[in-house]
Formats: sequence, C-alpha cells, structure tokens
Amino acid sequence: MKTFGLVRAACIVGLLAATTLPALAHHSFAAEFDRAKPVKLKGVITRLEWQNPHIWLFVDVTGDDGKVTNWGFSGGPPGLLTRRGVNKETLKVGTVVIVSGFRAKDGSNNASGGSVTFEDGRNVFTGSAEDAVPNR
Amino acid sequence: MRNRLTVASLAAAAAAVVAVSLTPVRVAGQAPQAQASAAVPASRAPDGKPDFSGFYQAPVGAERGPRFSPSKMAPFKPGGEALFYEMRNGDPFHDEPRDFCWPSGFPWGFLAPYPVQIVQTPQFMVMVHEFQRLTRIIPLDGRPHSAKVEPSYGGDSVGHWEGDTLVIDTTNYKRWGLDDYHYVDPTKNRMHSDAFHTIERISRNPNGLNWQITIDDPKIFTAPWSEDFLMRAHPEWAKDGLFEFVCQENNRCPAGKCGDGK
Repeated sequence: MKTFGLVRAACIVGLLAATTLPALAHHSFAAEFDRAKPVKLKGVITRLEWQNPHIWLFVDVTGDDGKVTNWGFSGGPPGLLTRRGVNKETLKVGTVVIVSGFRAKDGSNNASGGSVTFEDGRNVFTGSAEDAVPNR
Repeated sequence: MRNRLTVASLAAAAAAVVAVSLTPVRVAGQAPQAQASAAVPASRAPDGKPDFSGFYQAPVGAERGPRFSPSKMAPFKPGGEALFYEMRNGDPFHDEPRDFCWPSGFPWGFLAPYPVQIVQTPQFMVMVHEFQRLTRIIPLDGRPHSAKVEPSYGGDSVGHWEGDTLVIDTTNYKRWGLDDYHYVDPTKNRMHSDAFHTIERISRNPNGLNWQITIDDPKIFTAPWSEDFLMRAHPEWAKDGLFEFVCQENNRCPAGKCGDGK
C-alpha cells in the first residue's frame, strides 16, 4: 500500500464543526455517530464500497509516529450521491483526500464522512441529503 | 392481492410510457409564475384527471424537515402526550429501528427528502419512494377499506377523486414512529397510535403537488389536524429514474457497533 507520508491523524474539534448538522440517512445519525467527536483526517483512499444504504470510503492515515491506520467513512446512499454528481470516479483508490466527519460511537476507527476535499482544493459532499442544504 | 399487484404493474408500465411522453410537456408547463401556470392547463391523463405522474421530493431544510409542526397540532387528550412523545430508552432497536433496516412506513418514510416517483393509472395511484423503496399502490376504484388485513406500517389506503383533488384515506396502522422529531429532541421519538387515521388531499401546484396530510389520532389528539407540504416536482430526475436502495446490502454500523470489520 502506497502512502505519501502526508498526513496527520489529528482531530480538529471545534464549535464550527459541531454546527454541521447530521446526515439524514437511513437512520438517525445519532444511532451510530457521536456529534461531540468530529474528526478531520488526511490520507489516501484504499477502498470504496459503492453500496446501499451508505457508501463507505476507506482511507489510510499516517500518524505523526509513522504508523498507518485505516479509517472507514460512511457517506450517503449511492443514488443521492449520483444525482449530486458524486460517483465512483470521484473517489478513486490512491487519491489523497481530507475527510471530515464524526466518529463512530463505539470508538472504532470509523466515522461519518460528509465532506471530502482533494489536494487541488475541490470539495464534494459525500453525506446524505440534509448535509448539502445551505444554512443547516 | 396477487391479481391486484399484477393489474397494478401492468397498468403502471402502460402509464409509465404515458408519463415519459408527457414529461417534456410538464417541463415546458412549469412556468415560474403561478399566474402563467394557472392560465395554461396542466397535463391531464387520458381519463381527464390531472396527471400527477412524475418525480417529486418532500421538503428539505431547516424550516421544513421531515416532521410535522407543533403549531398545526390539535390539543392532546388526557394521556395523549405520553403516547405521542415516547422516551428513547437506550435500546437501539426501540430508539432507531431503521438502523436495523426496519421500515419507516407512512408518513414517516414518505416525508424523507428522497425522490418519489408517482405513476398514475385510472385504477391505481402508484407511489414509489426511493428511501427504503417504500411503495404505495392505492386503489381508486371506490373499494372500501379491507376488513381482513393485519395492521401495517403503511396502513390500508383507498383513494378517490374530488374534482381535481385526489383524496387518500388510510387506516389500520401499527403504532409506529410519526416523523423525524428526534433531530429536534434526541431524547424522544414522536409516535402515532394504533388508532391512527390519515387523510391526504393532493392537488396540483405550479411547483409540484400540494400535499395536505390530516392526522386523525383519537387516542392522542382531541381533534384531527392538518399540515400542508409541497412535494416539489423534479422532472430532471425522469431520465435516470429511481436508484435502488437496499438497506441490508452494506449496513455496517447497526446500533453504532462498527467494529473493525474492514
């Protein structure tokens, strides 16, 4: 697995992140993710599961100590994302991304992933419908 | 039931052809001004009824999430409030059954801001919601409610036309979640009782469909009450249609237990 030695497994926690409202997915966001634990991680996409009810994006994140951890990010359902112009080509394996979301309640290396930013600055919403609504 | 579904599917296929052929007409007819739309009769089905076939989406956003407004509600009966607001108790299945791919039913799932496709025939109004593929096949032939079916998450619906308004009467619901109130207060779910009865009145709006839902829940409220929703038309979704939604396919974190199953 290639890594680009980039990275930083730091959590950026703040009120701004907390104002991002949860996704409307196939269930209440609160059932699986903890809004009090926002994460923002940079890494390399290792796998994409383009499946219902949520896509899952897996990213290798290299910590300051050089240790690589694979994180899973849950996004919106494939249909909603497709209508928004996000597809499998958008999230290719090997791409460097910064993913923002909220950690899984069980403390595992999984999170919701509502926002993906690429190295060239482009940003896409990978969350569910209500993520993309202004003023939410 | 089998006959009913077969008839429905055949009729639906026929109506889908009609719907596709009418789509450009609807696009052209969606003038931004209500006045212009009123002056130009909207498309009609071959039987002369307004043609509701097409793609729609329930309201999205802060003001109008997928939930009912307290300001519209009738006063509670004694004990009604306790039936209406059910405390979440930490049991994941109780608190969020959809997390285990259980249905949300009507109106809870129907108000989710996903696409819904309507296919109209003279005999049935077919509504397929992308979320959970919630499907309603509503007979319009004047039949009464079925006396023999068990209560269900979507209830038993029958419809009829009153002029250009479609009226759908639904009874025989299970007690289940009413809407997504827990986004407002994560400690509670908002429920309807097993005496729940809904009346929908659907009519054309220049931007889609007016969808009035009357809530008649005599175990909870002192009187029926209504709320109006705009189901916004999205003719641009017709080219792709609905996408599949299979909750069980890759439901990775039920009850927040994601684990390390990578």
